[in-house]
Amino acid sequence: MSRLKQLHTANVVDTVIFRSLGKSPSPHLESLEQAVAEADTELWVSSSIYRELTNYGTNPPRNPYLDTGVEDGWIRVATPLLGNRNTPFDSAHNPVEQAQHFTDEYLNQQSKYPEINNWRDASVVALAVRLFEQNTRIRVITHTADERLARACARIPPEFGYYEIESRYYNPPQKAKQQFPTTESLSWRGR
Amino acid sequence: MSYDTEHVRNVGNGPTMITGLSTFTELLTNTNLADLYIAIRLSPGVTAPEIADQVAVSKKTVYEYLHRLERAGLITETKDDSATRAYNAEDFELTLTIRGIEITITPKLVAVIARSDAYPIINRICDEHGFVTFALAHDLINAHSDGEVTIRQIAALTDLSHGTTYDLLEALYEIHDIGGDGPSPTTYSPADVAEDDLFSELTDNK
Repeated sequence: MSRLKQLHTANVVDTVIFRSLGKSPSPHLESLEQAVAEADTELWVSSSIYRELTNYGTNPPRNPYLDTGVEDGWIRVATPLLGNRNTPFDSAHNPVEQAQHFTDEYLNQQSKYPEINNWRDASVVALAVRLFEQNTRIRVITHTADERLARACARIPPEFGYYEIESRYYNPPQKAKQQFPTTESLSWRGR
Repeated sequence: MSYDTEHVRNVGNGPTMITGLSTFTELLTNTNLADLYIAIRLSPGVTAPEIADQVAVSKKTVYEYLHRLERAGLITETKDDSATRAYNAEDFELTLTIRGIEITITPKLVAVIARSDAYPIINRICDEHGFVTFALAHDLINAHSDGEVTIRQIAALTDLSHGTTYDLLEALYEIHDIGGDGPSPTTYSPADVAEDDLFSELTDNK
């Protein structure tokens, strides 16, 4: 068996993709569950993205987009990333924190509105790097509807030696309803 | 004749009489009026009976609205030999400056208001957050389509929730028909973005 066939594919998903699919129950989420099984992959979200989608107005708080998939085991919520935006980059010693700082700065320098909420965007890239750090035989596909972030997802991990990454950009965002919950979208294409 | 004074600047050929200024602001609150103006804008030379077939108001109201839009200089009757009146819509900008905030109302914003019956999120934001917030979000969402801001940045800059921001974003992408039309998402690999500059001070310290 070739090396590539032995690699496992993980998909890291941004908030907006789940918003486009709607709250559970949703036919799009049902399609997604089926596509995840057919693609033999797993979906990951960062803890900050999980919180972003959580409804804290209920007791207990409930995540109407993710909880069903999490309880059924086909969506995984990562443990919180340790990075802090206020921590100087020099004191960030591990690649995951460094990747989050990198992405934050990458988005800042290309944005008309730097310093505005890029840290949570950067968690998508940081989670991808963490998956690479923790798994030697993995490749990662990221999914977002923000173009700059999509480019960052493909640009930053190679800085840490990780090239097995593909970044999917959904434009317009609502197209993710049809384009994301498919086996093709969740599978490695390679070029 | 052209003139340039404190309150009036005219390079010539503009309307000499504009009355009914309230019609401009009503375009932002009266969906049917906005819809009628946009229908004319999209179909130059359209006749009154044709307009009446396109909008969801009575013929009597159509003629009343046409009269108001004409008095405000927002539409003009076209030169036509036939007995049926036909109209063209005029571009406009209405700029207000209040306590340091400048807001410009344009046909592009009116086109969104005209669709607010189909997209309740538009009226919800105007009612609950005000027109300045709506106009700001509108412009930032257009910037998002050019890749200049992220959705979280829009939410932070407008103080709208992420969910509300997304709902408006989806509506405006549909109304303005923006975004790519490919059958699948764009996929970036490291080779595609290798030329993107990184923040050199960070890469030097890595």
